[in-house]
Amino acid sequence: MRFSWKLFMWTISIAAATLAVGGYYIVNSFFRSALSAETKQALEENGILRFALETAALNVPSKYESLGDQTVARIGATLDTGGQSRYLRISGENSAALYESGGFCADGRILERVADGGLAHRITSANGRFYIQTAVKISVLDRGLYLETLRDITGVFEERGAGFAVYRKVCAVVLLCEGGIIFLLSRWLTRPVRLLSRAARNMAGGNYAYRAKKVGNDELGALTEDFNEMASCLEYDVERLEEAARSQEEFVGAFAHELKTPLTAIIGYADMLRSRRMDEETRMLSADYIYREGRRLEKLAFRLLDIIVLGRAEKPSASFRAGAVFEYLRDTFSKLDADLELIYDEREVVGDAALIKTLLSNLIDNAVKASEPPAKIEAAGEDRGGVYVFTVADHGRGIPPESLGRITEAFYTVDKSRSRSRHGAGLGLTLCQTIARLHGSELDIRSAPGAGTSVSFSLEVKY
Amino acid sequence: MDKVKILIVEDEKPIRDLMDIQLRGAGFSCAAAGDGLKAADMIEAQRFDLILLDVMLPGADGFELMEYIRPTGVPVIFITARHEVRDRVRGLRLGADDYIVKPFDTVELLARVETVLRRYRKAESRTEIEGVTIDFDAHAAYKNGKPLDLTAKEFGLLVLFARNRNIALYRETLYERVWEGEYDGDTRTVDLHVQRLRKKLGWEKCLVTVFKVGYRLEASK
Repeated sequence: MRFSWKLFMWTISIAAATLAVGGYYIVNSFFRSALSAETKQALEENGILRFALETAALNVPSKYESLGDQTVARIGATLDTGGQSRYLRISGENSAALYESGGFCADGRILERVADGGLAHRITSANGRFYIQTAVKISVLDRGLYLETLRDITGVFEERGAGFAVYRKVCAVVLLCEGGIIFLLSRWLTRPVRLLSRAARNMAGGNYAYRAKKVGNDELGALTEDFNEMASCLEYDVERLEEAARSQEEFVGAFAHELKTPLTAIIGYADMLRSRRMDEETRMLSADYIYREGRRLEKLAFRLLDIIVLGRAEKPSASFRAGAVFEYLRDTFSKLDADLELIYDEREVVGDAALIKTLLSNLIDNAVKASEPPAKIEAAGEDRGGVYVFTVADHGRGIPPESLGRITEAFYTVDKSRSRSRHGAGLGLTLCQTIARLHGSELDIRSAPGAGTSVSFSLEVKY
Repeated sequence: MDKVKILIVEDEKPIRDLMDIQLRGAGFSCAAAGDGLKAADMIEAQRFDLILLDVMLPGADGFELMEYIRPTGVPVIFITARHEVRDRVRGLRLGADDYIVKPFDTVELLARVETVLRRYRKAESRTEIEGVTIDFDAHAAYKNGKPLDLTAKEFGLLVLFARNRNIALYRETLYERVWEGEYDGDTRTVDLHVQRLRKKLGWEKCLVTVFKVGYRLEASK
């Protein structure tokens, strides 16, 4: 059963029970007080009639030593003025009625209770009507008479019945109104729970961006807030996982593509060589292609290996002389058709010299590829207060802004044909970034199309 | 019939050259373009019988180029390095006639090219080699006007040799092409069929055994 229904059922049951008990008590207490007023009245009447009977008995002429039955009956008839609401009966010592009002319809068992004197009353009913019967034993002259009165109190009972009827109606109306209010209230109170539940279902269905609407600042509101916070964390994690999976997939796709091109060439030329008679020139061309594409595969494989190995290596703690690296670059690129300008501060810097050489060589390679010959390239090393910044800048074609963010991704190439024709594997900058990260730095790539590119990273200066 | 003219659009020079050598070797006339824009210019300037189109191209990519080619009615086989099905589906939907997935070998390239050309009636349905007339459409061969009684496998071998004249066909290749299964190193099946084919055609001289390799049909074009 739903919580709101439980709340509704319990509340309405308790309300109904309370109303019933309370109502019964109230109506009954009115009834009791009315009944006791009636009883009091009946007893008073009994007292008055007794007095009247005694008085009448005393007025009987004294010549009568004793009170005759007829006399008593006559006195009874005189006293019987109550009409339809009061009846009386006067009985003799043997409980035999001497006078009885017409319609007196109660037995004389009550007389036993007053045989030894005193006043008694009881409620009795006959023919669907209710009466209070009172009885008293009177001694007049020589007689011991019983005086009984019967007072019709059907009205009191009828009123109680009417009270109950009215009360039932009131109860029904109250419960109906209350039921409506409680129903709405319970729905309102459980709304945060329903909203939370809907949010949870949405999230289970894969809609991680869904958030529960917060209603109120109570405990449920706090729960909603906590839930949403949890959802945000979850969404972030899922996004990161998806991102990782996507980049993994892209990497595998790009890698497969990168493998297939040299493989197609190698297999194709090798197949030709083994199955066809060719002229010397074609034969050499084929062999050369096999060799070059093989080297390309080799480079790809080792680059990839480097990236994987370096990605897991520890940060180097050795140090080297920055000048030595720049001298190495000068020697390596001296034969290049490029104007390489080196400006550097001589410092001892923390890092792996061989890796930094690889990094800078790659950057200079890229710079040459990006430039129209004769390329003008600057490689600089600058001590900026404890941080040694390496920069390689060219004045080449630059990188389009939309590619700048992806340029270090594996196999990402801005212009496929150009990089291929110059035998890039699409891993150079990825390797550079990996080396920079290994040293606790990041490649800072600034570029404007047509104006050139500058790439920098930093190492610590060793004192 | 003039020589069939094929345009190769492929940005990787080694592969472009490879296809060029393979197709020229099979007697086709070839032109090559390294990027989409150059290819578009060439398509506009000349009439080709078939275009081999790489999907990933600098300039205009293969899909864009295909929309440009379609109105000309020139058949297209597109070359993709991707295994992605959606690329192939997209290519075929854009009107490509077939596709080749890298890496491919000579035999496969020539087979696909010939199939598409025949579909467009740009390759002769009959060819004559060393006294044997092959009717590709009817799956029949004739010698001196008399039909030859060839099994399906033998005819398959004949077609393969006819398409790859002067090329040493490895037993492995013959088996994989004609029997369409993985070659398990058992040479007897291939040898038996080739010998019977040789006998039926009277090709004892021109269908030569290449030592340790397979067979080669030596015939002038």
